Amino acid sequence: MKQRKNLLPALALGLAVGLGVAAAVLGDRLTAPVSGVAFGLAGAIGGLAASRLIMAHFDRTWTPEERKEIERAERDERNVAIREKAAYSSWYWTLYLLWGLFFLTLILQGGMYTALVSAAIVLHCVFYMVNMNRWTKKL
Amino acid sequence: MTNKIAQLRKERRISQAELADAVDVTRQTIISLENGRYNASLLLAHRIAKYFGLTIEEVFLFEEEEP
Repeated sequence: MKQRKNLLPALALGLAVGLGVAAAVLGDRLTAPVSGVAFGLAGAIGGLAASRLIMAHFDRTWTPEERKEIERAERDERNVAIREKAAYSSWYWTLYLLWGLFFLTLILQGGMYTALVSAAIVLHCVFYMVNMNRWTKKL
Repeated sequence: MTNKIAQLRKERRISQAELADAVDVTRQTIISLENGRYNASLLLAHRIAKYFGLTIEEVFLFEEEEP
């Protein structure tokens, strides 16, 4: 069961390594954007898969007491409040950062990037409104 | 909001870890409650009061804040 649980992250890690190696071997034969995407994907998938495998390893080594303590820390109301407040603040900082990038792209006349950043800002605000509506119904 | 958690705990010789275990929070939360850095939710306040066999008002002291 444990082996099956680790199969997907292990396969993903293999895929990430393969993708990274392929991008490195192909080198100049790939265009810069394709190479960037390949390395980016390899890094993201590899990071996620490696963290899953590392967590699974620690999960096996925890004693029942340690596991109980970790589970308690996960649902502890102060920890939950800390995570929520941090996420809330982070969203605001991200929005300010996006606005900064938006004006920077306007100044530098980066057509596609201006559109992308604008879309990200709109999405951010849409997610915010959707979540406001969701929580208004819940609370 | 202030509370009598530290006082009640010392009177009854209960450790922070024991109280945390009983009300299903971390010891750090008990420390923060005792220091007044964190205000308990109604649910946690209820659990703590119940643990000491008291009412919420007997453990937690609500003070009207100046506007």
